[in-house]
Amino acid sequence: MNDRIVFENVSKFYGEVLGVNRVSFSIPPGITTLVGPNGSGKTTLMNLMTGLVQPSSGQISVLGIGPGDADAFFRMVGYCAQFDSFPRGLTGYQFLFDSLMLHGMADYDAFRLASEALERVRLTEAAGRRIAAYSKGMRQKIRLAQAIAHHPRVLVLDEPLNGLDPMARAESLALFEELGRQGMHLIISSHILDEVDRISDRVILITGGYLIAEGNIHQVRQEVRDKPMQVLVRCDKPELLASRMFSVNHCVEARLHGDGKGVFLRTADIDEFYRLLNDVAIEGLVKIEAVAPADDNANAIYNYLIGSDGGAS
Amino acid sequence: MGIIDLDRLEVRLGGRIVLNGLTGELRGNAIGLLGPNGAGKSTLINTLLGFHLPSSGSARVFGLDSRHDRAQIRQGIGYMPENDSFIGNLSGVRFVRYMAELAGLPPAEALERAHEALFYVGLGEVRYRKVSTYSLGMKQLIKLAQALAHGPKLLILDEPTNGLDPVARQRMIQTIKEIRKAGSIRLLISSHLLRDIDEICDEVLILKNGRIAALCNIEEERHSHRNFIELETAGATEQFAVNVRGLGCECASFPGGRIKLVMPDHLEARDLYVIAGEQGVQIRRMSQRRDSLEDIFLRAMENEGREANVGV
Amino acid sequence: MSVYKHDYRAYSGRVTPIWARIGVLVRYGLAEALSSKITIGLFLAALIPFIVLLIQVYLANNPAARLLVSRNGLSWLEINSEYFLRALQLQCWFALPLMSWVAPRLITYDLADSALPILLSHPVSRFGYVLGKFIALFVSLASVTLLPCLVLFVYQCYFAPPGWTSANLSIAAGIVVGGTIWITLLSMLGLAFSSWVKWRTLATGVIFAAIFVPAGVGGIVTAVLRTKWGSLLNLPVMMTQLWQRLLGVPEMVRTGSDWSLPSTAILIMLLAACLVCVAMLNARIRAREVVRG
Repeated sequence: MNDRIVFENVSKFYGEVLGVNRVSFSIPPGITTLVGPNGSGKTTLMNLMTGLVQPSSGQISVLGIGPGDADAFFRMVGYCAQFDSFPRGLTGYQFLFDSLMLHGMADYDAFRLASEALERVRLTEAAGRRIAAYSKGMRQKIRLAQAIAHHPRVLVLDEPLNGLDPMARAESLALFEELGRQGMHLIISSHILDEVDRISDRVILITGGYLIAEGNIHQVRQEVRDKPMQVLVRCDKPELLASRMFSVNHCVEARLHGDGKGVFLRTADIDEFYRLLNDVAIEGLVKIEAVAPADDNANAIYNYLIGSDGGAS
Repeated sequence: MGIIDLDRLEVRLGGRIVLNGLTGELRGNAIGLLGPNGAGKSTLINTLLGFHLPSSGSARVFGLDSRHDRAQIRQGIGYMPENDSFIGNLSGVRFVRYMAELAGLPPAEALERAHEALFYVGLGEVRYRKVSTYSLGMKQLIKLAQALAHGPKLLILDEPTNGLDPVARQRMIQTIKEIRKAGSIRLLISSHLLRDIDEICDEVLILKNGRIAALCNIEEERHSHRNFIELETAGATEQFAVNVRGLGCECASFPGGRIKLVMPDHLEARDLYVIAGEQGVQIRRMSQRRDSLEDIFLRAMENEGREANVGV
Repeated sequence: MSVYKHDYRAYSGRVTPIWARIGVLVRYGLAEALSSKITIGLFLAALIPFIVLLIQVYLANNPAARLLVSRNGLSWLEINSEYFLRALQLQCWFALPLMSWVAPRLITYDLADSALPILLSHPVSRFGYVLGKFIALFVSLASVTLLPCLVLFVYQCYFAPPGWTSANLSIAAGIVVGGTIWITLLSMLGLAFSSWVKWRTLATGVIFAAIFVPAGVGGIVTAVLRTKWGSLLNLPVMMTQLWQRLLGVPEMVRTGSDWSLPSTAILIMLLAACLVCVAMLNARIRAREVVRG
C-alpha cells in the first residue's frame, strides 16, 4: 500500500552489536508513539526509517518508496534528531535556508519555506541570532523547524519535547496533532508517555532490539491478557464497594488504597465492570468521588511489557 | 525567615538585566521552579550558588547572604546541574568521595558517605567503573549522589529527570520523594515537566522575563475547588452532555468522550450515574479537578510581572 | 528481629576548615598526575642528570679520583658556582617535559566534561581551585628542580672544608630563588594553556610551542635587527642570564655588542607572562559561560 510505512523482517547489526532484530510492522497515517528504554533500538529504527542507515537484512518501504531511491526518499521524510549539534557559526535562519537549499530548490522557494517554518515554531524573532547563543529549548525548536520545513510526508521525531517549557510543549503537541490530521505520518519517540499518549493513536514498544507490541493503545492493553485491567475508584466506603463487586462474582482482585478512601479493582471484563459500577452508584449506598483506569495508558503498558528489566540502569 | 529570601534581587549578565527585582520568601519543603526558557531560572540558581553576583538587591539562603557568605552557603548546598558534569577519568566512588571531601568531610567519613549515597541512589557495582563509561541514567544518578554525600541542607536539582526513560524517571521521582520525606533536606527543583513538580513540590515559584509571575503554595490549592468534574465517557456522549446540562450544570464536551463540567451544590456524582445508566453511557473516568499546577502556570503566564503573591 | 532500613541520613560529624579544601585539591591533583606511568617515567628521567651530578660531587671530593683526573688536565670536577648553574639549568629544563605532561592532566579532565559547575558549587572559590592545582604542580616540579639541587649543595657541604658553606650560602639562596621563579612561571604556563586547549596531548604540544616559538622569534629579531632586546622573548636566554646573576657566575662576554639584558627587564617580562596566564585562567575557569549574540 502506498500510504504506509512498512518494515518486513528488518534487522540491523553494527558489527556484533545488535541494533534491531527481525522487526516487522506497518504504520498508517497519523501519530505513532515509539516507546522503549534507552538503548533499545529506537534510534536505530528511526535511522532506518529515514534512510540514514541501511538494514542488514529485510525490506523497508516508506510510502511505497525504498531507501534506495535517495532523492525521492529524503524529500519525503523529515527527521528531527535527538542530538544537539549544529554547523558552527550559523544563525537559525541560515541553518534552515541551507538545509532547504540542499533539496535543490530555488532561492526564493527556500526563503519562503524557511520563513514559514520559523513562523510555525515561533522562532521568527530569534532567527537572526547565532544558534550557539540559543537556549536548549530554542535549539530544539530550530531542529523541529528544519524537519518540517520542506513539507515532508513522513516526520520522524526523536524526543522533540526535550528542553521545552510547558507552553512550548503544548504548542508543539498541538502542531503535531494538526500535522497528523493533515494525513502525515508522525513517528514520535518520547519518554514522557502521558503527554504523547494524549495525541497519539498507535504505539510501538521496543526493548533490547525486539519489537514487543504494536497497535492501538487500547487494543494493545486488551491483548495483554494475563494482566486484567485495574481501575481505581475513590469513594467513602471502599470496603463496601469491594464486597459488592465480589458478591456479583466479578472482580478478580481488590486492593484498598493506602489512605483508606479508595480501592483498586481488577477486572477481566472492563465493559461489564463499568455497567456494574453504574448500578452500584445509582443504588446510593456508596458515594463515588472519582474513577480512574489505573493502567489503560502507555505508561502502564510500558511497565507491564518492559518493566524494570528493560532499563539498563 | 524562609529558606530562600529574595530582596529586590537584580542580576545583570553581559549588560542585560536577566533577573529584574525579585522579591519573595520561599519556605516550602520542596520548592518548584518553573518558567519559560529565558525566564531566568538558571540565573537564579547560579546566583544562589554564588556564581553570579547581584548587581543590586540581595539573595539569602538560610539567612546567609549570597554575596558575602558564599563559602558557607555552598557548604550547605548540594547541586545537581542539568547538563553533563563530571570528571570522566575518575571512578564513581572516587568522584563522589572527592566532592564530599571538598565539602569538608574528612577522608574516611567521605568514603563512607560516598558509598552510602551511591547505595541510596541505586548505583551498584557500576560505582567502580569510570564515570565516562556510564549511561545517561547512571550519570544523572551520580550527579545526585555527589549532591547528597555531604549531607546538605538544601538540594538544588536542575531537570533531574532529563533524558531518563520512563522506568528510570519513576525511580528518580521516587528517590526524590523519599529524600523529601526524610525531612532533613529542603529541595529546590527546576523542571519543565509540570507533572513532576506537581508530584513532588508543595510550593511553586514561577518566573517570567526575569520577574516573579507567581509564588504560591500548591498544597493549599489542593484542598479547594471541589466542584469541577472531568469525565471520560464512552457511548452517546453528546446526548449525555445535553442531559447533564438539563440538570443545571455548566458542561463542555471535547473529542474522545471527554466532558468537563461544573456541578452546582445541590447535585452529586450519583445523579450523573443515573443519567449514564439511562443512556447506556459508560463513565470510564471521573475526577474532581482542583486548580491544577497547569492552570496556575497558564494563569501566571498571562499575568505578566505581578509581584509575589501567595495564592489560595 | 532485625530489618535494617537504609534511609538517607544527615551528616553530623566533623567538618574540615575551609582553607583545608585546597589541600584536598592538591592531594587529588597529585594522585591524578602520578597515576600515569608516563609521569613516573618523566620523573625518573628528570632525575638522571641529578644522579650524574651527584657522582660528580663525589668524584670531586675524592682525592684518588682527583689525582686521576687532574693528570689529564681537566677542570670539570671543580665544584663552584658554575657547577651549580649547570645543575640548575639541567634540572630546570628537564622539568619542562614533566610539566607539560602533568599540567594537562590536572586541568583538562575537569574541563572536558564540564565538571566545573559541580566543583565550584562546593566551598572552593575559583582562586582556591587554581591555587590548589598550582600547588600540586609546584610541588611536583620542585621535587625535580629545587630539591635535587639543594641536595647536591648539602652533599657538597658535607664534603667541603669548613668555611666553604658560609662562603657559598649565596649559591644556595640563588638556587632557591632562581628555581622558584622558574617553577612558578612553568606552573602558570602549564595551567593556563591546559585550560584553553581541549585535548591533553595537544596541550602538551602547545605548551612546548608557547616556550620555544617566542624564543625562535626572539632569536630572529636579535639576529636580524642586531639588538639585544629581541632576547626578551627568548626564555632560555633570559633564564640563563637571570640564573647567572643569582648564582654569581661571571657572564660570558661575547665579542661585539653587549648581549646582557638588565635584570629588571627580565623580571618585568616574566611577570607579564604570568599575568597573561592569570588572564587566560580567569577566562576559562568559570562555572558558567556567558554566550553573547
